[in-house]
Amino acid sequence: MRSCRVNEMDWGYINARMRGMKSRLLNKRALDTLVLQPDLASLIAELEKTPYRDEIIEAKVRYSGVLCVEYALRKNFTRTFQKILKFVREPEAERYIRIFLHRWDVQNIKTILRGKNIHIPAEEIQDCLVPAGELDEATLTELVRQPDVRAVIDLLATWQVVYARPLTESYPTFAKSGDLSLLECALNEFYYADALEQVKPLSYNNGLIRNILALEIDVVNLRTVLRMIRDQVAPGEAKKFLISGGKEFDQEGLDHLITLHSIEEVVEELKTTPYRFLADIPPPAMRTQKISVIEKQLEKFLVQKGVGAFTGDPLSVASVIGYFWAKYNEITNIRIISRCKTADFTVEQLKEELIYV
Amino acid sequence: MEQVRPTRMELMLKRSQIRLAEQGRDLLREKMDALIGEFFKILNAVSNTREELEQVAKEADLALMIAQAVDDPVTLKSAAFATRRSITVGITGKNIMGVPVPVIEKKRISRHTMERGYGIISTSGRIDETAERFEAELDLLIQLAETETAMRRLGSEIQKTRRRVNALEQILIPELKSEAKYIRSAIEEREREDIFRLKKVKSILERKKKKVKEKKEAAK
Repeated sequence: MRSCRVNEMDWGYINARMRGMKSRLLNKRALDTLVLQPDLASLIAELEKTPYRDEIIEAKVRYSGVLCVEYALRKNFTRTFQKILKFVREPEAERYIRIFLHRWDVQNIKTILRGKNIHIPAEEIQDCLVPAGELDEATLTELVRQPDVRAVIDLLATWQVVYARPLTESYPTFAKSGDLSLLECALNEFYYADALEQVKPLSYNNGLIRNILALEIDVVNLRTVLRMIRDQVAPGEAKKFLISGGKEFDQEGLDHLITLHSIEEVVEELKTTPYRFLADIPPPAMRTQKISVIEKQLEKFLVQKGVGAFTGDPLSVASVIGYFWAKYNEITNIRIISRCKTADFTVEQLKEELIYV
Repeated sequence: MEQVRPTRMELMLKRSQIRLAEQGRDLLREKMDALIGEFFKILNAVSNTREELEQVAKEADLALMIAQAVDDPVTLKSAAFATRRSITVGITGKNIMGVPVPVIEKKRISRHTMERGYGIISTSGRIDETAERFEAELDLLIQLAETETAMRRLGSEIQKTRRRVNALEQILIPELKSEAKYIRSAIEEREREDIFRLKKVKSILERKKKKVKEKKEAAK
C-alpha cells in the first residue's frame, strides 16, 4: 500500500514536471514569429529570447549561421533529456527515456563504422557524433581511435556494450560481402527487438511504451516497403529489411505488402488500416514516386500519435512519451525554419515545408 | 625581294607554289566549314545539357536542404560516409575531321537504394531522393565533360584553321604573287633591255657596215 502511494506520488511529480516543461515549448505563435523573421541573424536573435538562449550563446562561440542553430538544438535536446533522467525516479519512465536515447548510441556506432569502413579521418567522424545516449564522449572518442570496423566491434564487445552482439553475429557476412548495410540493419533490428524485450512484462506503462514502439516499427516498415517497391527489389531480398513487432502489420501482412507492384497498390491496400490518410496524397506525387511526400505524412501521423499521448493517464509514462515527441517536433521545426532561412524561402514556402506545426 | 632570283625557273616555281597555296587554302576552308558544322551540332547538345544540369542542380540543392532540415545534417553526413566511393570512368577517343575528341564511357552513376551502402531502416526517402538527384547531376556532369571538351577542342581547331587560312590568304599567297610579279617584271625588263641592246648592236653594225661601204665606194 505504501509503495503504491510512493509510486503514485512519483508519477504525479513526473507528470507535473513534464507538463511544466511542455508549457515552455514554443507554441504556434512563437513558431510563426520565427517563421516571419527576415533572415537567419534575426532568427538567432529571436531564439535568444526563448528557452534555447543558453545553448545559442554557447553555440555562437563555436559556430555561426545555421551551424550555430543546429549545434544549439542538439545541445538543448541532449540536456533536456539528461535533465529528465535526473529527476525521473520511476523505472518505467526512465526505461522509455533510455530506450529513446539509445537511438543516438545506434546512430553514433553506425557513423563510426561507416567512417572506419572507408578510412575517414577521426576528426571528421567525431564531428558527426552526438553523445546524447549512454555512450559518452570519451567512449565514442576511444571507438573512433580504433583502426578498423573489426577493432570497433571488438572494443564494444570488450566493454560489454549490448550492441556488440548483433555486430559480432553479422560481422562474418559483412567480411565476406563488404556490405556495411548488413551491420547497420542488424543494429537497427537489435535496437527495436531489445526495446520491445525491455517492455515485455505486462503493465499499463509498458503497454503504452510498447504501443508507441510498435507504431514506430510500422512506420519504419511501411517506409522500407515503399522504398523497396519503388526500387523494384525482389520480395525475398526485401523481407530481410523488415522489422518484426509492429502494431498493425504482422509478418504475413508485410510479406503481402512487399509483393505488391506499385506504390499506388500499397496505398490502396492501406485504405483499411489507420494509414488510410495516405490515399489523400495528390496523384502527381504518387506518379513521380516521391517517397518523401508519403514519408512526411507517415512521420506526421507518428508525431501526432506521440504528442497525443499527453491526453493519456497523467499518472503514467504517457506524459514522458508525449513530451519526447513534442520536443522532437519542435526541434525539427526550428531546424527546418533555420535551413529554409538560409535558402531564402518565402514564408508560404517555408510553412509548406514545416512538417508538424 | 632581293633574295628572289628573277629567273624563269623561279617564276615557274613561284607559280606552282601559288597554285599549291590556293589549293591548300580551299581545302582548309572546306575543313573549317565542316568543323563549324560539327561545332554547332555539339553546341546545341551542350547548351541543352547545361540547361538540364542547372535544373537538376537546383533540385538537388533543394532536396539536400530539405533532407538536412528534417533529418539533421549529422545524420545526412553519416549516411554520406557509407556512400562515399570513387567513380571510375573509361575514356576512349574518336576523330572529328582529324581532331581527337574524348568519348567517356557512360557508366550510370545513379544507383538503387540498396546499392548506396547505407542501411535502409534508419535512413529516409528524403536522403534517397537527395542522393538520386546528386547522382543524376553527376551523370550530367560527366556527359557535359565529354561534349564540352569536344567543343573546346573543335573550337581551338577552328581557330587554328582560320589562322592558317588567313595566313595563306593574307600573307603567303599575296607574297608569292608579288614575288612572281617582281620576277615577271624583272624578266620583261631584261627582255626589253636585251631587245634594246640588240637593236643598238644592230644599229652599230649597220653603221659600221655603212662606213665600210662608203670607204669602199670612195676607194673606187
